[in-house]
Amino acid sequence: MDWAQLWEIASAPDNVPIVALIVLVPFYSWYGLRQSLANDRLIAQLETDPQMAKTHHRKTQPWRPGWEREVHVWPYLLRIEFLAAIIVTFILMVWSIALNAPLEEPANPTLTMNPSKAPWYFLGLQEMLVYFDPWMAGVVLPSLILVGLMAIPYMDANPLGNGYYTYKQRKFAIWAFCFGFLILWLSMVVIGTFIRGPGWIWFWPGQTWDHNRVVFEANRDLPDIFGITSALGKGIFGGIVTLLYTAVTAIAFHKVLTWNDFNRKIYQRMTLVQYLTLQFFIITMMSLPVKMIARLAFRIKYVWITPWFNI
Amino acid sequence: MPEKTSPVEDKDPVVTQSLSGLLLLSSLLLMLSLVWAVWDEIYGQRPWKSIQKRFSQRYTAFLNKAKPRQAAVEKSVRQSEEYRKLEQEILDKEKEIAPKLKEIDQETIDVIGPRLTAITDPFALARSEIQAVTYRVEVASSQSAKDSLGRQIEKLKARPVQLTLPTGKGHSEKLRMNFSQLEQEFNRLQQRKAELAAVRGGLVKPVSELRAKLDAFVKDRMPGLTERQIEGLANKMRLFNVDIKQIHVKSVDLVDRCETCHLGIREPITLTKADMGGEGAFTSHPTKALLQIHDPERFGCTPCHNGNGTATTSVKKAHGRYKHWLWPLYDRENAEAGCHQCHTTDLVLDNASVLNVGKEIFRGRGCVGCHRYEGFDTEAESLAASRQAIRKLEMDRKEHEKNAEFTGKAADAASDNKEAQRLYAQADALRQTVSNIDHQMEQLDIQSRSLLREQKKVGPSLKEVRVKMRKEWIPVWLEDPHAYRPMTRMPSFRLDKEQREAIAAYIWQSGVQGQLPAQKPGDATRGKELFETRGCLGCHAVGEGANAVGGSFAANLSRVGEKDHYDYLVRWIHNPRERTRPFCTHEKRDIGPEDYAKKGLPFVFDLEHTTCPNDGHELQVQQMTVMPNLRLTFEESQDIASYLVTLKKPGASYPAAGYLDDPQLKPKGLALVRHFGCAGCHEISGLEEEGRIGTELTKEGSKPIERLDFALLTHDAKHEGWYTHKGFFENKLKDPAIYDKGKAKAPLEKLRMPNFRLAKEEVVAVTTFLLGSVDSTLPGHYFYNPKDQRKDIRDGWWLVNKYNCMGCHQVRVGQKSVLSGLARYQDPDWKEQLPPTLIGQGARVDPNWLARFLENPAMSTTDVNRNGVRSYLKVRMPTFSFSNEEIRKIVRFFDALSAQAQPYMPTKLQPLTDQEREMARGLFTSKAAPCLKCHATGDPAHDRNATAPNFLLAKERLKPGWTARWMIDPAMMAPGTSMPSGLFRREGGRWVFAGPVPATFGGYQKDHADLLVRYMFQFTPEEQRRLAGRGPASPAKVAMR
Repeated sequence: MDWAQLWEIASAPDNVPIVALIVLVPFYSWYGLRQSLANDRLIAQLETDPQMAKTHHRKTQPWRPGWEREVHVWPYLLRIEFLAAIIVTFILMVWSIALNAPLEEPANPTLTMNPSKAPWYFLGLQEMLVYFDPWMAGVVLPSLILVGLMAIPYMDANPLGNGYYTYKQRKFAIWAFCFGFLILWLSMVVIGTFIRGPGWIWFWPGQTWDHNRVVFEANRDLPDIFGITSALGKGIFGGIVTLLYTAVTAIAFHKVLTWNDFNRKIYQRMTLVQYLTLQFFIITMMSLPVKMIARLAFRIKYVWITPWFNI
Repeated sequence: MPEKTSPVEDKDPVVTQSLSGLLLLSSLLLMLSLVWAVWDEIYGQRPWKSIQKRFSQRYTAFLNKAKPRQAAVEKSVRQSEEYRKLEQEILDKEKEIAPKLKEIDQETIDVIGPRLTAITDPFALARSEIQAVTYRVEVASSQSAKDSLGRQIEKLKARPVQLTLPTGKGHSEKLRMNFSQLEQEFNRLQQRKAELAAVRGGLVKPVSELRAKLDAFVKDRMPGLTERQIEGLANKMRLFNVDIKQIHVKSVDLVDRCETCHLGIREPITLTKADMGGEGAFTSHPTKALLQIHDPERFGCTPCHNGNGTATTSVKKAHGRYKHWLWPLYDRENAEAGCHQCHTTDLVLDNASVLNVGKEIFRGRGCVGCHRYEGFDTEAESLAASRQAIRKLEMDRKEHEKNAEFTGKAADAASDNKEAQRLYAQADALRQTVSNIDHQMEQLDIQSRSLLREQKKVGPSLKEVRVKMRKEWIPVWLEDPHAYRPMTRMPSFRLDKEQREAIAAYIWQSGVQGQLPAQKPGDATRGKELFETRGCLGCHAVGEGANAVGGSFAANLSRVGEKDHYDYLVRWIHNPRERTRPFCTHEKRDIGPEDYAKKGLPFVFDLEHTTCPNDGHELQVQQMTVMPNLRLTFEESQDIASYLVTLKKPGASYPAAGYLDDPQLKPKGLALVRHFGCAGCHEISGLEEEGRIGTELTKEGSKPIERLDFALLTHDAKHEGWYTHKGFFENKLKDPAIYDKGKAKAPLEKLRMPNFRLAKEEVVAVTTFLLGSVDSTLPGHYFYNPKDQRKDIRDGWWLVNKYNCMGCHQVRVGQKSVLSGLARYQDPDWKEQLPPTLIGQGARVDPNWLARFLENPAMSTTDVNRNGVRSYLKVRMPTFSFSNEEIRKIVRFFDALSAQAQPYMPTKLQPLTDQEREMARGLFTSKAAPCLKCHATGDPAHDRNATAPNFLLAKERLKPGWTARWMIDPAMMAPGTSMPSGLFRREGGRWVFAGPVPATFGGYQKDHADLLVRYMFQFTPEEQRRLAGRGPASPAKVAMR
């Protein structure tokens, strides 16, 4: 265990946000979920007691006699926000005094640093380059992520959960978020920061980043495993496999969408366009973990090879 | 907000919960961070503030301590007779002028001054009023307006003004004056004031001159600063401002703030660490002379020392000792690396002794055999370039000839006269161009002949092994050269037995075949004497370890008898440049007698016969060794060789090496010889034009650290703090195989660099050199590229080191030759036998003569077994067979060192009158100055005891100005010379002979030294014989060139 190496990575001023992120994201996820579950319990209680539901005044807290029905923004909200502002200012002050900007030597066009890493918020994209060809990882997928994020409110047919935390009423949305953001995006950022060393080779945390390390990593394309050599054959084979993946994912996702009564009710509210758009983004999103597993576990580089793009 | 909070369940947390505690805490934290920010801004980021305060305190304390000390010294100076006399003189003078001064001062203070003060205001007022109206006249548009304004001016001028003017001694007068009267009085007063001031200045001048003299007197006799100067420095400290001190060189955008902490660097007083309370940062620059040459206002600090000149936040940052600063401060021991950045092509620098050693090792140890380095060992490259240029010119010539012919033919066939004339002219022009090409080719040929002479190898030629040595020695030597000869330049290669055998076999089998004439055995005792007195020890040493006697420039000969054949040694000593066979640079092979026989030519090749019988191209006719020809006779060579073959280590044995003749080993050996780059230092058959096998090192110091292969030691280096250029170089030089540690490599993939067994200081020196080998970012004008005589000095040092002139001669002040350090030459009788010092050589001798002498130090083509100038010396000035270019450089070098104008124009000396000649003769032979007692005369009987050169040489050899200075005070130029000093004394602006003057001198008013010089420069053999009192049958026939 090379603690010095680990410390070198963790203490780099560049990586401070990521170290903080490892702690903060699980904490806030847990905190949010805790509140959601509390709310769910309240919802369950109110559903069994319609009388109480009529008099109940606050969405997130149980009813108590003598409590005011509504509280004012000033001072009850603003004082908390003020406090938060003070604490954040304090943190920023300390951060800016204690850690200098991570400036390095002047760029040398004849010498690329190794490993050469994107800023921390782009490390996920850089990590994606390992699994897809540059055109997909660099252009198509980032655009789809942006468009997909913008499309979420338009695809969301579930009217519940506005203004309060709830798990029960937004199971799908929460799972999709947890999977897409926490697992896929953040884990790739963490991999890019802590795991990828010189030569973008996989180093486990605590392993020395040795520039001389040589790793045998002969990747192959999926058609090669099946002995398909002609370009046409590869194109057709890859197309079929991709189509198969699409079909399987679409059916599986359809099953999820119609899992229980609640889901079915939402599903019925969806228009065809909403449904197809959602399917499209889910299929695209799921391709990332599939490709990651194929690449990391089975050393498969591309599945579908065409003269124009590779998947 | 509800006041009390209690953990009662049913209280509304939103409205009842108090956040005041939290608010207080976070507000306090915020305040604290604010305080921290302010502190950080004022002190945290500005550590130099406290440093400067400390400096100010310590420096003031130091000055206060130094002041009484210096004051005491000053006092003692002031008490000297001379000082008092001067002081008294000032007092007298002051007393003398005092009444006059008083008179002047009185008038100025009493009358002129107050009167001027009183009149200035009314006059200025009146004048400005008139000027204002005058302006209106100038800009008035109508004539009538002008006229009326003109009248107004007249009125103003006539208006009288009331004023009271003092007349001195407290009296005053009341006056009414109009403008012109005012003006007149004002001007008169001004003029009088100036007159008085001038008179006063004239009176005071001698006094102030004397005072300046007094100050200079004190300064000249004071070590260090005077009390008043120290007081000035202390005052400066009192007014000291704590702020950033920076040097800003606008032209290169250089900002150096080093002096923000290193405040003492440029102080005019020497500050040591102890002076400044143990703080090294406050010392003054250790070499003040360097700051005078490199004015910090123009050069800054970081261009020489590296470091981050702009950083002020911490010592580490300012010194650039952090990961991302590419130019960290050089370590103290490597500080001279900074010099090399701009002095790239200087081999020898004053004030850079470590760097000089590093460069000399790089040049002399053969590093340059494998590693190209711009400016080092350029002959081979220049040779190739000139060869290519010749080839191109040959093609051009052919082309032009053809064109000329065609143009001529076209002219013959031209339709009209005009056209024909034009074409003929064109053809003529082409032919002229051809002739021009011929001139160019001739120069290139001369140049390549020069270069062939200049080209040297660090190691001996391996072509000669078969005639030179016993073969069993070769594998033993290859195994560990340092075991056989501890101080050898040959490095140890990491060879296994098989590789050694193959290499030895190739070397042996590729050696040229030849028969050397068998030599008679000589007298070893006489040989030893000759070896020790002819100057061999200037370069070679005998004896191992601490017992070694002699120079380390060339091989230590302690065990030479174990390996070399006697016959070969005799030939080598007689003429080391003699080859068994010449090498044709065009055919790239050694030419033998058979090639000469084919053309019916005798097998003769030497510096006069340098063309190949086969193709007419230049031959390499010399051994590429720097060892010169000492012009010994064969008997002497035999004696020395006989002595050398006795030099053996008792009991050394060599296993039989029959495999050296195994032809199967040859191809393998060739591959290995090529792989290990043996041809970088040795001349080897078949590998004459082999390229260098190592990395180019010209810019090695600025190679990105990532490109230096620390291999598996990267992490150790990082953790142990030597992941730097310095660390890489030092470790590599100490153990060239170090970066193979732990690597699994095929035998021929391993690092090839051999181990030179460098001493610790040598490692530091070479590291310094490499650290300085950077791709400088400084603009061109910072580089040391002199076009004047300093360039000649630079070029000269390369030759002085190349041929080891300093083994025998003293070339620079403070340097000692190897010979002068030998036990033998400590004896006063032998001191005279030391070769002459070359300090001031350029001023001493005629450059044309020097050139002739360097080409042939015997100054004769027939009688060569002697010294041309100092025939009395046992040490022999050898023949180096310099190329013309080298001679030119050496002559210019000496001229430049003495700042002699070029080209040299001999001064015309006044011819001697008969009377003068008689006088000079008298002086020459007088008992007080028996010149001819020591100076050689050409008479062998006399010359045996002579210890000074023949006067006949003076005319051609010496410069008259130097000769006069030499006669007056030879001990100043060459301490310890046997030429007596004090022959002349100064008398009324001329030099007069100090001893009893011959009677013929009665009333001679001219300079005696000058007379002798003129006599010497008109000295003839007849005159010499006359002086020696001998007839014309003297054998003094010196074949002068």
